Amino acid sequence: MNDIGEFTLLIALATAIYGCVAYIMAARGNRIDLYLSADKTPLIVWGCVMISSICLWRAFLTNDFSLQYVWAYSNIELDTFYKFASFWGGQKGSLLFWTLLLTTYTVVVHFQNRKKNLHVVPYAMAVLLTIIIFFLCLVNFSTNPFERIPLPPEDGRGLNPLLQNYWMVIHPPTLYLGYVGFTVPFAFAVAALISKNLDDGWIRLTRKWTLISWFFLCMGNLFGASWAYVELGWGGYWAWDPVENAAFMPLLIATAFLHSVMIQEKKDMMKVWNMSLILLTFVMTIFGTFITRSGLIQSVHTFDEATLGYYFLAFLFVILFSCTALIVSRLPLLKSKNQLDSFLSRESGFLFNNLLLLGIAFATFWGTIFPIISEAVRGIKITVGPPFYNQVNVPIGLALLALVGIGPVIAWRRATLSNLKKNFYRPLAVAFITAVALFPVIPLGSRVENYTYIAFILCAFVMTCILSEFYKGTASRMGLHDESMFGALTTVTWRNKRRYGGYIVHIGVVLIFAGIAGSQAYGTHVEKHLKPGEKFEIRGYSITYEKLVAIEATSVKTRVIAQLDVKRNGSHYWTARPEKEFYKGQNQPVSEVDVLSTWREDLYMILADFRDDESATIKVYVNPMVSWMWTGGWIIAFGTMISMWPDRLEQRRRLERFRREESLFPSPAQE
Amino acid sequence: MPLLKFAVSIFVAAWFFMSVSGTSYAGSLLQDLENALMCKCDDKCGKVLVNCTCSTSDKTRAKFSKMLDSGLTVDQIIKSQVDEYGETVLSAPTKFGFNLTAWVMPFIALVAGGVGVRKVIYSWVDKKEETVTEDEPEEKTATSEKYSKRLQDELDGIEL
Repeated sequence: MNDIGEFTLLIALATAIYGCVAYIMAARGNRIDLYLSADKTPLIVWGCVMISSICLWRAFLTNDFSLQYVWAYSNIELDTFYKFASFWGGQKGSLLFWTLLLTTYTVVVHFQNRKKNLHVVPYAMAVLLTIIIFFLCLVNFSTNPFERIPLPPEDGRGLNPLLQNYWMVIHPPTLYLGYVGFTVPFAFAVAALISKNLDDGWIRLTRKWTLISWFFLCMGNLFGASWAYVELGWGGYWAWDPVENAAFMPLLIATAFLHSVMIQEKKDMMKVWNMSLILLTFVMTIFGTFITRSGLIQSVHTFDEATLGYYFLAFLFVILFSCTALIVSRLPLLKSKNQLDSFLSRESGFLFNNLLLLGIAFATFWGTIFPIISEAVRGIKITVGPPFYNQVNVPIGLALLALVGIGPVIAWRRATLSNLKKNFYRPLAVAFITAVALFPVIPLGSRVENYTYIAFILCAFVMTCILSEFYKGTASRMGLHDESMFGALTTVTWRNKRRYGGYIVHIGVVLIFAGIAGSQAYGTHVEKHLKPGEKFEIRGYSITYEKLVAIEATSVKTRVIAQLDVKRNGSHYWTARPEKEFYKGQNQPVSEVDVLSTWREDLYMILADFRDDESATIKVYVNPMVSWMWTGGWIIAFGTMISMWPDRLEQRRRLERFRREESLFPSPAQE
Repeated sequence: MPLLKFAVSIFVAAWFFMSVSGTSYAGSLLQDLENALMCKCDDKCGKVLVNCTCSTSDKTRAKFSKMLDSGLTVDQIIKSQVDEYGETVLSAPTKFGFNLTAWVMPFIALVAGGVGVRKVIYSWVDKKEETVTEDEPEEKTATSEKYSKRLQDELDGIEL
């Protein structure tokens, strides 16, 4: 089977090269025979990569330690659940997994478009296959997951204990689905540039792909935060680690892209800008991969064999250079009308939203690469950690939060003073009331507390802005039709899925901001060394350390569990069981925290240390409003689903607008 | 518009004041140290001390507690760590010399971007006004102005 896995990867590479060349020749020479031939290659490539992946999965599930990769990331005792996930636990498998997702996306694009959009699709397929070729070259010649061990050992080294968490099965695939997904809009953008079809066709074709990829990347970031929260045992969820940054930057740029394409769709503006944004988004996904796999920047996420960085760096420069050259060569065709009615308009709001999103992305990028710059200039490697990002990004983030509220309420084209008064007096009043109400209640003084105060006021402002949009739509519907409030709300949302789906996403964003602000400013923790029966208090919780239990969970894993009784207002509230897991052959034990999460706050328990006399060091964090973030994530997921749902009305409206504009402004391709 | 400019100025001033005022963290002195310094364990975990749970970090925390109890200030402890490990032990760049570029560059980029966006928007608005002037008839009648105003009011209330 391993031979089959290895061989199919070679076949996939050969087929992808043929497909890429054939697509380009078919498009340039207008040769239908070549197109029909090339048209079979995406499916063959996907089939080969899928067979290869199944072979690797089989090797994991059958404990085939003749494969070096399986030996390094699995062992006999490992749960089947984690054996399945070990596939992407190391560099070699993760690259194969990336290739598998990319080929799967390519096949879906192929089936979606094989009989339409033939002026762009061959080029888009060629671009997708070129990227597949790059990854197939890596898995074939540099990081082959089917590399053998001449004398297979009886057992494997095992998966890193930190990765033995259920999030391991969810977080990496979600993040990869986001990373890889942006290849599709990027491929169509490049195809539009090559084929000179530079109207908003490529945006419409890839809108759902962009949304899906954005959604997965957003969820991937949140899942990563959630994983860090429950697994790393330091009471936090985001450490501004270079690899976290690498996943965060494309999300920011893609968010800017999602907003600015609306201006191109509505007003036929900002074509160069949108091209640049999608290029930048894709480049940032490759940059993230470069960081993880280069070993150049110190990170907790870096792969053990981080030697591939320079391939990615070279690939990144090739993409950057060729796409920039392509955009420059097409500048005359990318000329837009670029006219605005007023400075005070939603279009301007979008531009400033882009500015702030890119500002945060740039600050994050700058902080990530600054250690390298410092080493190059001064010969001193420095660290750029959370204090830098918090101090630089938080004020920009707060300005962005304000725009989340202002943007949707301000009118398209031109906002007049009466329009501003009408739309903003309620949100401003609510913000004012929030400011006055919170002032005597919450502590102020430190920078974090001041920011949090502003964040809460802005959250109230933005939430009122969004809810008043729902209210206006629902009330006008109720006025025109005899519908109940719920019915009118549902109809309004369902008939304008994109708009109201977007608003729901914004509600999720507000909750995330509020959760971050609350948990950063008002969290507290205490560390106590206790003997059984001793107790202590923290924020109204009375915690008694009851006992310590050791369990031989498997032949390689021992669990040491501390049991604590938590009382609130004198009555039993919760029994906490934080633990430490010891894995054979691992230097450091792994903390498994126990968390009681409520809407108000999380009670987060860690067994930090223990002694033979059963005394234990217990760390307890009280983290307010953390669950708001996770709730915000699910609301974002719900809003994205609504936004993505097929909308016939929207399609009809767009078609009518397109026809209207077509008669006035012929697209460059038609000239 | 002057009212809007005034409101924006107040907001920016308050924002700036909030950014620079007060200490960074609301926690204890030990927490300040944990936030300011990296963990220097043998595994080179690359984590800020406050985020690290390894045995070295526990020992370091205990050491810092003792140093604070002995009367050393946070700055003195940080300096002793920098002397021992170099600048790399700091969790963020210092705010002088070359390292200052790390702090100011994002804001320079943002301000430059903001000026650029403002300029672009005004140029697009001017372009539109020029087009409108070219297209418009020379004289506006009172009736057309009345309808234009009514149309504008209607458009203000409509979500396109």
